[in-house]
Amino acid sequence: MKTLDRHYLLRHRDVPGIDTLQGYEADGGYSGLKKALAEFEPDAIVDLVKASGLRGRGGAGFPTGLKWSFLAKDGRPRALVVNADEGEPGTFKDRELIEHNPHQLIEGMLIASYATRSPESFIYIRGEFLHGHEVLQRAIAEATERGYLGDRVLGTDFSHHMYLYRGAGAYICGEESALLESLEGRRGNPRLKPPFPAVAGVYGLPTVVNNVETIANLPPLILNGAEWHRQWGTEKSPGLKVMSVSGHVTRPGNYEVPLDATLRELVEMAGGVRTGHQVKAVIPGGSSMPLLPAGQLDTPIDYESLVQAGSMLGSGGCIVMDDSTCIVAAVARVVRFYRDESCGKCTPCREGTYWMTDVLDRLEGGQGELGDLDTLLDVADNINGKAFCPLGDASVGFMVSAIRNFRDEFVEHITGRTCPLGARLYDTVNY
Amino acid sequence: MVVDAAATVGIDIPVYCYHQALGPLGACRICLVEIEKMPKLMTACTTAATDGMVVHTQSQAAEKGRRGILEFLLINHPLDCPICDKGGECFLQDYVFQYGAGQARFEEAKIQRHKEYPVSPYILVDQERCVLCQRCVRFMGEYVGEEELLMDGRGVHTVITNVPGIPLTSPFSGNVIDLCPVGALLSEPYHYRARPWNIEREDTYCSQCPVGCSSSVTGRDGQVVRLEGRPTPGQWGWLCDHGRFTYDFGAHPTRLTEARLDGEPVTVGRAAQVLGQRLAAVVREHGPDAVAVLTGGSHTVEDHYALRRFADEVLGGSRAGLVKPVEADLPLALLGTFAELDQSDTVLLLGTDPYESAPVVHLALRENVRRRGLVVKALGDRHLLRDTLAGEEWVVEPGGMAAALAAATAGVSEHPDARLAAEGLAPADESLVRLGQALMEPGALTVLWDGREQDLAPALVALARARGEHPTRVLPTFGPRNWLAAARVGIPTDYETSRRILMDAADGRIQVLLLWGADPVRDFPDGDLAARALERCPEVYFGGVFPPDGAELLAGVLPTAAWAEEAGTYVNMEGRLQTGRGAASAPGQARPTRNILQAVARAYGTPLRKLDEWDPYEGTVDDRLVLPPLEGSVRPVSPPPAAESGFRLISGLEVALTHDPSEVAARTKEDRPARMHPADLADLGLLTGSGPVELSSGDRSFRVGVRGDPRIPRGRVFVPRGLRGVPINRLGGIAVAVRAVEEVASR
Repeated sequence: MKTLDRHYLLRHRDVPGIDTLQGYEADGGYSGLKKALAEFEPDAIVDLVKASGLRGRGGAGFPTGLKWSFLAKDGRPRALVVNADEGEPGTFKDRELIEHNPHQLIEGMLIASYATRSPESFIYIRGEFLHGHEVLQRAIAEATERGYLGDRVLGTDFSHHMYLYRGAGAYICGEESALLESLEGRRGNPRLKPPFPAVAGVYGLPTVVNNVETIANLPPLILNGAEWHRQWGTEKSPGLKVMSVSGHVTRPGNYEVPLDATLRELVEMAGGVRTGHQVKAVIPGGSSMPLLPAGQLDTPIDYESLVQAGSMLGSGGCIVMDDSTCIVAAVARVVRFYRDESCGKCTPCREGTYWMTDVLDRLEGGQGELGDLDTLLDVADNINGKAFCPLGDASVGFMVSAIRNFRDEFVEHITGRTCPLGARLYDTVNY
Repeated sequence: MVVDAAATVGIDIPVYCYHQALGPLGACRICLVEIEKMPKLMTACTTAATDGMVVHTQSQAAEKGRRGILEFLLINHPLDCPICDKGGECFLQDYVFQYGAGQARFEEAKIQRHKEYPVSPYILVDQERCVLCQRCVRFMGEYVGEEELLMDGRGVHTVITNVPGIPLTSPFSGNVIDLCPVGALLSEPYHYRARPWNIEREDTYCSQCPVGCSSSVTGRDGQVVRLEGRPTPGQWGWLCDHGRFTYDFGAHPTRLTEARLDGEPVTVGRAAQVLGQRLAAVVREHGPDAVAVLTGGSHTVEDHYALRRFADEVLGGSRAGLVKPVEADLPLALLGTFAELDQSDTVLLLGTDPYESAPVVHLALRENVRRRGLVVKALGDRHLLRDTLAGEEWVVEPGGMAAALAAATAGVSEHPDARLAAEGLAPADESLVRLGQALMEPGALTVLWDGREQDLAPALVALARARGEHPTRVLPTFGPRNWLAAARVGIPTDYETSRRILMDAADGRIQVLLLWGADPVRDFPDGDLAARALERCPEVYFGGVFPPDGAELLAGVLPTAAWAEEAGTYVNMEGRLQTGRGAASAPGQARPTRNILQAVARAYGTPLRKLDEWDPYEGTVDDRLVLPPLEGSVRPVSPPPAAESGFRLISGLEVALTHDPSEVAARTKEDRPARMHPADLADLGLLTGSGPVELSSGDRSFRVGVRGDPRIPRGRVFVPRGLRGVPINRLGGIAVAVRAVEEVASR
């Protein structure tokens, strides 16, 4: 891992006052936009982003430049939608970027909108991010007043209007098509694809949906170029990533690291686990991803290495569990989350998460039977790959990896008729 | 989609959420199939079939996926099939039986939800049985455009419900019962009434309006207990609630079930014998011209055939005519079809709002607008377009539609007939020229017309001729339901024939008038003439299902069998013959028309031979009437009536109000049938937006309940035709005085 001399995404950690327009401009803010408008044709920016190898930071890791180039070229106006519905358990990177460095997001959105020729953009911000919403409201007002937003941005032919929309508290609206439904005022259920957003997205327009962190990468990328971006990470996963490290570490928080850092390095950056305890397992990319046991801590966090190790980078929410963790209780808690956040549209996710939650609660409470493990794995198999949207798959990844890696612990719960670690599930009342 | 492609080769892939009319959704996942070269199972309802695609519906993976989905659907589904109305006709039962696992693995608690929760007077929701396929929600919200059902809650707690406190009022709501693949949406009137194994379920066609929607009638113990929509090729099988929930009319308390002579009950045989003898005596003494037959157009084609032969052969050439509630005659050469409507480039609503007069046609129009951008224009004496059917409309003075149409045509076309029809009319203004241009657009035009304004017939012929090669078709939205049956057997259907018969009856030139299902006092546009005819004709006999207005004047009554009580053929508004089967038995002494007429013929001394050997379909093409060529000259259209001060009366036909008497459909029957602009109501002092009013013209008046409707222009009163106790056909002119009164005396 190459050490960073400064922060690029978490710039506010080095530069106090950057959350205001004045402070941001003082640190060279909006010079990326000015450079883009003055020196680049829109398509050249798309090419630059392609060359940089920047991949979507929302979870799927799709190459950003390629996504932009899929936009329908039929003359209809396009739209940029920024997914700020950061709801993945264990992930809080977008929140910090929004709350402390809002202008970098706005500048990045302007660059992306210019590159994709979008006259309008929308930020769909998670309903619980009330503070972030207020920060962005203020920042958009500042940028509008300064001429970065509105008609004829900075006197050029490029006009752009930005809209901020606060969600109503549904995890599923982080899925891009459910986000678009919600943004349009409907029930937040994922949409059928095709048509993909690039053809018919928000209000039927060709739409790019990008994650906050993806967009925040654009200003430094424009200023420093593709090679600068490629100096970090790996060939296929270049660049920097903000990792949210949480769980049993002594200094939980966001850490900006090159994409070739290892999980062990991350845990160490976060102060390691409590004295006298060992790492038991790590979920590298938010609760939707399979866990990796302590033995795999030396896995680098780039997209490919994590897939090879049996998990995924996802949104970069790294949840560290030490040896005091009851893995059954952790699984029960996570699956319960997916039961509660399933939108209800498709059968396997809606019913399967309910079923698994009930069985897991019973297991954790010492009322399990040995057959339950096979049932859980079979139910998971009946969900996996068969649900309408990725939420179904997300609900089973952690559970299946936990049973695979810690089957003995599950069996102990069953044979011992109680939790060997004395864990208690809070709120196990069925409602 | 793969599921449709599979169906064409006879492979059944189970579906819940998918419906061709609603498009793919991908929610239920029951249609999982394995497609080669695709990494995971795909839903057959959302995957387009492509050339060379290899699909496995019975591979191990596909079967496991399907079995898993069914298991998921069952974990929160109650095991109450034995008391479920849908038990035995349920797609969840069927698919679990066919594809499901034999044993349940789910041992946790099921979620309890509302059962038998009413979302309208007709519809119950059992939320426990719901599989959340969203068919009902999407049908109401997207297809009908009336968002009255919605999904509430999230995840496993999601339920289908109505907007809290607001029951469904859409006339298409009942279709969700048919659309529901499981026992979640139930018909309240059918609730706990029958099981699939003790019913007769027969193919039929709805009897309540001339659309003739294909449907299935359910009979139990000789009574009709249910009507369902029945999809046929090219039709989705929608019904409107007016048709769906009127199925019980045959058992209505006012139904005729016994024969009467001079008010005294007698057997049908006795009544037929007396009628036959009286007819024989009158014809012997006064000749066949002293007897006339008027049909109400509600009996079957076979019945009309018997009636026609009875008039010809038994009575020796007596006159026959049709009583219909409108004054104009459709040039039959222009009669269009629903298939032509689906191909039309432009549709003109002419005086009619199909949502009211032929509701399922409204759905067809909306689908055509949404699917392929059908252009809708409207010309009427009130606003005919709605939130759910957009277009452009022209609202003209009452009685001015014919003049407007003729002027609009002549304003754009040089055709001599267009000019002739518009002779003497003011030339089209800019607005009417725009209408003319829209109607003269190349491509196919279909006109929906409710048969008001006699001069619209020549105006339509002129338009059709002016359009030349471009097809012009007319779909008549007026009833009676089976009036084209009269045309099929050669009974004149024109207004003038029946008017002359009534005139002669009123003048004493007709000794015996035989009304067969006809209610001229209520329906005939000149109600005074009809009333005089009944009063002055020495003997009026009536055969039918419900007593007509003026029943006290009848010399004899013969109760006939009704729809669904026997097999019979109907002709719908596109001239298509449709044979429905019976599922119930005629109550009391009610007997098929053919049997009664045969008994009368025997008493007369001239039995009808080989009555049952006639085939209604003989000589039809594709089950449709053969239309005459468009002949005859066009006459000039009269100028519109001069504008008068005060309120003016406008009218139309509404299935919701004029369907047969029904105790089930009475649950939502409107008791304020007249409509006025809300501002006019306020001016009358009816500040609550509805109330009773008295309409008067000259020395005539009647009272009627009125409600506010902003689609009625100011200064006009809309009163539907053909309503018992609302004698709009006896007011005379179109200028009326309106005043608010204390109590409702209508209906």
